[in-house]
Amino acid sequence: MTVNRFTSMAYGSADEMIFGNAKKPVKAGLGLEIGAGYTTPEVNYAPRPEAGQSKDKLVREYEKITTDIMARMVQVGFPAVVLETEHVQEMTNNPKWGGEIAHAQKTIMEEYHEEYGIKCALRHTPGDIREDRDYLELRGGKYSTLMEAFDEVASNGADLLSIESMGGKEVFDHAILRNDMQGILYGIGCLGAMDMEYIWQDIAKVAKKNNVVPAGDTDCAQANTAMFIAGGLLDKNLAHTLATITRAIAASRSLVAYEAGAMGPGKDCGYENTIVKSVAGVPISQEGKTSTDAHSDVLGNLVMQCCDLWSNESVEYHGEFGGTSVQCWAETLGYDCSLMNVALKSGNEKVLRDMFVASDRYRDPQGYLLAYDNAYRVGEAIAKDGDNLYLRAKNAALKACEILDEGKKGNLELTRFETNALGKAKADLEALPDDIDQFMSDSMTKYKNEVKVFRPESNYGL
Amino acid sequence: MIEVKPSDILVRYNVKLEKEMAPEEAAEELYPTEEPVRSIAKSIFEGEEDDVIEHLEKAIGAGKDPLDLITDLMAGMDVVSKLYDDGVIFLPNVMMSADAMLEGIDYCKSKSTKTHESKGKIVCHVAEGDVHDIGKNIVAALLRAGGYDVVDLGRDVPVEEVVEAVKKEKPIMVTGTALMTTTMFAFKQINDRLVESGIKVPFQCGGGAVNQDFVEQYELGVYGEEAGDAVKMADTIRKKGSKIDGLRDQFHQH
Repeated sequence: MTVNRFTSMAYGSADEMIFGNAKKPVKAGLGLEIGAGYTTPEVNYAPRPEAGQSKDKLVREYEKITTDIMARMVQVGFPAVVLETEHVQEMTNNPKWGGEIAHAQKTIMEEYHEEYGIKCALRHTPGDIREDRDYLELRGGKYSTLMEAFDEVASNGADLLSIESMGGKEVFDHAILRNDMQGILYGIGCLGAMDMEYIWQDIAKVAKKNNVVPAGDTDCAQANTAMFIAGGLLDKNLAHTLATITRAIAASRSLVAYEAGAMGPGKDCGYENTIVKSVAGVPISQEGKTSTDAHSDVLGNLVMQCCDLWSNESVEYHGEFGGTSVQCWAETLGYDCSLMNVALKSGNEKVLRDMFVASDRYRDPQGYLLAYDNAYRVGEAIAKDGDNLYLRAKNAALKACEILDEGKKGNLELTRFETNALGKAKADLEALPDDIDQFMSDSMTKYKNEVKVFRPESNYGL
Repeated sequence: MIEVKPSDILVRYNVKLEKEMAPEEAAEELYPTEEPVRSIAKSIFEGEEDDVIEHLEKAIGAGKDPLDLITDLMAGMDVVSKLYDDGVIFLPNVMMSADAMLEGIDYCKSKSTKTHESKGKIVCHVAEGDVHDIGKNIVAALLRAGGYDVVDLGRDVPVEEVVEAVKKEKPIMVTGTALMTTTMFAFKQINDRLVESGIKVPFQCGGGAVNQDFVEQYELGVYGEEAGDAVKMADTIRKKGSKIDGLRDQFHQH
């Protein structure tokens, strides 16, 4: 597969971007077209802890989950749904398990499709198992197991293939806890991007072989780690401005999947997806207020602004007053999508989009940056040097600093701590070279020394 | 674009409540007054590893016992911990100070033939099948910074290996972190194996999918919501003993 860099924007202006519509819609599964004029709920779930004890228990657990969701969707009259199965490690380490579960789920979905005509698709997201106990092992023996897992699920019913790839995390984890902008840029923008390019060409081949969709990736392992460490407004673990700059860099990384064969929809937890959509034009999944079952965030409405699939991130399967947890969340997602679809059909979509944005634009720096007008500007900064992985990530980071500085002059309130962290990050970024070779060489020396588990040769071919 | 006056719909509580005092000013008020402990504590607070070593060298050169200087390093870390607890400084500052302190402790130990007594031993691990270890790394760094001797078993640690380590090391507490629902089931298996062996050590569990309800299901489990709870729990065990019910009373918030 060839890698085609994005050097221009998919959209002529930020205002063209809207939920339920992508420049490049994707057909998938049983009658579904994602990004083709309507939004669709994407339900995510996790088995109960004891379900992982055996394959049979796990298969049965996913059968129950799938049946519960499909039953609720038709009971309440929703026209479409996507189910996402994020693998527990047993399912990827034992590819046959993943395949069997995909088959069991798809069989149930086909029955509902045949009986009720509900449009549906199944996304499977194998776990990134490319690690041993001490080191990332991105290109070692586990790589072939991972590809086998993709092949098993694709040949047994999964319609959309995704992953949350881990490349660059060893350097990032060290850097983010030390306010080290160079390490964040190197870990996400360079190492993570290089790994994504490597892995997505192969995922795309598996998808092509099985006639399914190579969907997309996310920088969950890094940008969401930063966002969750930063936490809520009162948490004192990481400056939210730093987490926000990290998010901008993440967009440059997540874009690589689409340069290496992915077609969308991007993964729900990629909060950077609005930026990605602006450049690549692919449909995206997003999570926000409906991901409170898994974690809190500070942009719960805003992040709906340009979604094509609307997700709940992940909920453990268990009983609630209103049914099982997956039924409750599926229904909530369905009603959210129904409201967005009403807006689309009645010509009010831009009003609703802008209400989502207005709700959270000034709640936190992350929301401010990801508001579609600002996200578009970050996209432009990436596309400007789209051929240079380092420079475009650095551009994104500096553009984020510029946007936050502008915000501070307006209605975006920042604490003194956030302002100082922003100033330091900007100064650190400006001190970095523009030359990719020099940056890579400097960083290699620095992080080989500082990060004991960093293995540039075997993991990145450096 | 719709613009609504932000203060009509939300409150940036962090801006409203931010402490007036800058971290450096707050630290100045807490440093010990005498030398060399003041300079050592200050360089720990600033996370400057080279300065820490330089001050230690000077102090040893002036006749100070290297192991006594570890107490001076801890004085610096006490300032860091206090300001972190008070919300004046953030986690990266603590991590950088912890790095500097560990380097200082290693240096002091290398200059002495005597053995340094820690506040207690703690075994840390990430559940079997789980490789997400940033939470465990934060916990381990905070515990070390708090003066505890951490036996870090790493990530994806088999149940049996944790049990064996507990038998060998005899820690005052065990910590386990997990991100996924199925991997956290290993905590219950570890608990059962420890109980079978007659070991009643507090087993602090936390992380992404872990919740208090799950942890309460097994006898030794105590839920840790934040990484910083690990140090507080270890301090409580030292002061009040290791009764699980007492720890749950104090740390279970929900």
